[in-house]
Amino acid sequence: MKPAALVAIPPGRCVTLDVRAAIRGGKEPFDEIMAVVARLAAGQALVLRAPFEPTPLYRVLGARGFAHWSERHADDDWSVWFYRGEPSAPAAAPPADATARGTLDVRGLEPPQPMMAVLERLETLAAGERLTVVHDRRPTFLYPQLDERGFAHHTEEPEPGLVRIVIERTAR
Amino acid sequence: MAKASRTPSPMLPLAFLATAAVAFGLVGVALPWVAEDLTGHYYHPRILALTHTVTLGWITLTIFGASYQLVPVVLERSVWSERLGSWELTLTGLGVVGIVGHMAISAWSGLLWGAGLLAAGVAAHVINIALTLRGLERWSFTATMLAMGFLGLVLTTLFGAALGVEHIRSFLPGDFYARLHAHVHLALLGGVLPVVLGVAAHVYPMFLLAPRPAPRVLAIQAWGLALGVPAVVVGLLVAPTLAAAGALAVAASVATHVVWVVSLLRGSRRPAFDWALRFLVAGAAYLAVAAAVGAALALGAVGGPRWALAYGVLVLGGWASLTIVGMMLKIVPFLVWYRVYAPRAGRLPVPGLADLRWPTTEAVAFIALTGGVAALAIAVGVGHAAAIRAAALIVSVGTFAFVATVATMLHHLVPCPLRAAAPVA
Repeated sequence: MKPAALVAIPPGRCVTLDVRAAIRGGKEPFDEIMAVVARLAAGQALVLRAPFEPTPLYRVLGARGFAHWSERHADDDWSVWFYRGEPSAPAAAPPADATARGTLDVRGLEPPQPMMAVLERLETLAAGERLTVVHDRRPTFLYPQLDERGFAHHTEEPEPGLVRIVIERTAR
Repeated sequence: MAKASRTPSPMLPLAFLATAAVAFGLVGVALPWVAEDLTGHYYHPRILALTHTVTLGWITLTIFGASYQLVPVVLERSVWSERLGSWELTLTGLGVVGIVGHMAISAWSGLLWGAGLLAAGVAAHVINIALTLRGLERWSFTATMLAMGFLGLVLTTLFGAALGVEHIRSFLPGDFYARLHAHVHLALLGGVLPVVLGVAAHVYPMFLLAPRPAPRVLAIQAWGLALGVPAVVVGLLVAPTLAAAGALAVAASVATHVVWVVSLLRGSRRPAFDWALRFLVAGAAYLAVAAAVGAALALGAVGGPRWALAYGVLVLGGWASLTIVGMMLKIVPFLVWYRVYAPRAGRLPVPGLADLRWPTTEAVAFIALTGGVAALAIAVGVGHAAAIRAAALIVSVGTFAFVATVATMLHHLVPCPLRAAAPVA
């Protein structure tokens, strides 16, 4: 059953993006999806048609304040609605201090998508605010970008295959 | 909070990889011209020149370049000296030109300066990597295999230099062809294979969105090479029985790798494979076929120069080249993107990796290279000149399509005021 917040969005406010043919053709639609998401106005929803359930997107768009609701038409045909209004459950526990701006889980994304998602999110941080990034490896190429942009960062690896990077904006 | 990180330079690995791509294009130019020679024995000046263009210009330069991109990622530390890396490219590049050129004209005395420059380039690379690895606390499988591979490359270079000197002043004991076969297998099994297996263990799960290999899988691959390669090389020189035992150990390592790749494909969370992944899969399939032919040669089930040539085509053109093409199609666009677009990411709309690629040329390269190499292996096995020439032309088309693909990616490095405002796909 569709959530109430999604039912309240008129069909005319839904932007449909069908990536089934692109994926079957061997293309990676992540950038196209993110571009459409970036253009969504307030009150609009994205309806994504995909040949599988795009679970990595749930984390990425959930961190941007999008909730999701999915409908499976067949094994290789899914519709997923992304809409604002109900926060998704975070994949990892966010930091508890007042300066934290949440968690961004980029596991399961191929380079450079994690870097793009992190750098985009960091632009919204104010001085002193922190973002926790959940990764499956140490992002060697991200660190110099953080340094150049004036972010302090600390990395910990609580278990193999799980890396947490706490990033703090120290200067504007 | 962390101190400032040193930026891994994308230009150093890109310089190596671009030079290697040029060498691959030259192979495409030369292959149809030497088609007639491929009907005869493999110990022919032009065949030797072609082989060393592949092994040194294409494969070795790619390994060096890829290691400058992957070492900071795998070892989580900066390369000791990028300036030494630049000198290394100059030395190695000139050395390859000298070796290949003098081989083609059978000028053995002139070959020595080329071998000397190459040895200096290889030494620079090994010193650079050794100083980077110094003090490493946790030796992962990839780090161990990289070290093993570079040791193999050093020994191969010394062995090759000795074979070059032998042409001028005879001093080596034993059979000429036994030494030649030992040199070839030291290069491929001792130098190239450990690097490929080590890098694959790190990057394939990342590319395929699949779990990392189990410790047992890694142990079989490492021990199979550690025990098998010395046995093969020493066995080829002095004791054929030892070579057969070593070949079986190497085959076990290769079989474990191929089975692991198949399990990765089954467990992959990627909805579709791009051309780079298709190349990597095709390379693994060729490795399985080449290992079977190699084991048959070592056990004496098949033999003769025709089988040896077909084996060489399967190994160099099939496994090594297709795997390298696949890895390059992943590495090059990322490095270009990182150099040009990462500084703008998050602040301005930037293109994704897909926008740097040219899928049409990638598709042409895949079809022509996978099909052409198979056709070439069969044609040289049969020894039919017209069939060899036709297959060589197909392979050439594949190499040119690949070079065009890489050039398309690299052109983003050229400053363009309009590119900053390019729309996101």
